[in-house]
Amino acid sequence: MGPVPRTLELFYDVLSPYSWLGFEVLCRYKNIWNISLQLRPSFIAGIMKDSGNQPPALLPRKAQYLRNDVRLLGQYVQVPMHLPKDFFSVILEKGSLSAMRFLTAVSMEHPEMLEKVSRELWMRVWSRDEDITEPQSILAAAEKAGMSSEQARGLLEKISTPKVKNKLKETTEAACKYGAFGLPITVAHLDNQTHMLFGSDRMELLAHLLVFRPG
Amino acid sequence: MGPVPRTLELFYDVLSPYSWLGFEVLCRYKNIWNISLQLRPSFIAGIMKDSGNQPPALLPRKAQYLRNDVRLLGQYVQVPMHLPKDFFSVILEKGSLSAMRFLTAVSMEHPEMLEKVSRELWMRVWSRAAEKAGMSSEQARGLLEKISTPKVKNKLKETTEAACKYGAFGLPITVAHLDNQTHMLFGSDRMELLAHLLGEKWMGPVPPAINARL
Repeated sequence: MGPVPRTLELFYDVLSPYSWLGFEVLCRYKNIWNISLQLRPSFIAGIMKDSGNQPPALLPRKAQYLRNDVRLLGQYVQVPMHLPKDFFSVILEKGSLSAMRFLTAVSMEHPEMLEKVSRELWMRVWSRDEDITEPQSILAAAEKAGMSSEQARGLLEKISTPKVKNKLKETTEAACKYGAFGLPITVAHLDNQTHMLFGSDRMELLAHLLVFRPG
Repeated sequence: MGPVPRTLELFYDVLSPYSWLGFEVLCRYKNIWNISLQLRPSFIAGIMKDSGNQPPALLPRKAQYLRNDVRLLGQYVQVPMHLPKDFFSVILEKGSLSAMRFLTAVSMEHPEMLEKVSRELWMRVWSRAAEKAGMSSEQARGLLEKISTPKVKNKLKETTEAACKYGAFGLPITVAHLDNQTHMLFGSDRMELLAHLLGEKWMGPVPPAINARL
């Protein structure tokens, strides 16, 4: 029997295109590296508020840069990323609260579906420029991921329960405790240390930490 | 004779540790990839002002993150990075105007020295090898006398404006001039993507020297 797999926690929000990139890369590597990937649906607006940070899209030059960066990385990482027409409205106005509460409910009741449902929500907002805020939108994503209509509706009903609301809060607070000021964050639990890595562009460094465990 | 080398412009400031990382990686690859690396000393405070951005170190959680990130990347990229204890004050108070004017003067008069002198300045600010973090006020005064000519001041301004025109909101930025397009990449963590855009091979931040072109 080989060494114990190391736990990687990925805190993400479907509103974050970089979260999608990090997610896909780690999903690919979870069957290659000796890791146990734990998906942690979180609320990026909550992280911004708690850390005093702002969405990069609020600074004009960052918004412009982000458009190109996300497009190029989508091509390179082979994730079908297409910016929504009204990019600002999607990020700054419509948000992701219901979607992330839904994913929280999925993580609590059907964790085996979490990866697929998360992906379908990203595909809606960041590939096909479709809504993710309305109940119908969320149900459509869940069904596309392979959930039955009944199952999906059942979970949707639970998203305003204190249990689910609190769980999303807790996960978001956990990310903040790790030092998050944005998403995605990958938390690598090594033998003696825990490393929090921000962004989708620390995967090569992560690979190095998993192999070399530096002091 | 092979294809024309593609021009890469690296806009940097020695106050920026990520600039140092990007600089070292590109200096290693300049003898491996078919590129012409043009070093562009710039003024990060000017870019912040022009873009409306702020230094990340001003946000407490980013400052905390930056310490670890820079340390880990320094180890991985094999650059002797050691954050000075008062790194916050180095960034905010001491600044880099004299250093970047000095490098501008070097780029104008002795461009063949620019790489080495830039590295020396980074070593002073960001490595324990320095006696103090940053430049002593004597050194700074001495340099300022030599470099406060309009010619040098303007050249630094122009270079900084050029970075802004490319869309910079921070440093480093690498501008890749390809056949049909120009790409501006921000940060020291877009080198693998850069390789992909150039059609070159990425061999990590410490490529084997034996692949160097003669």
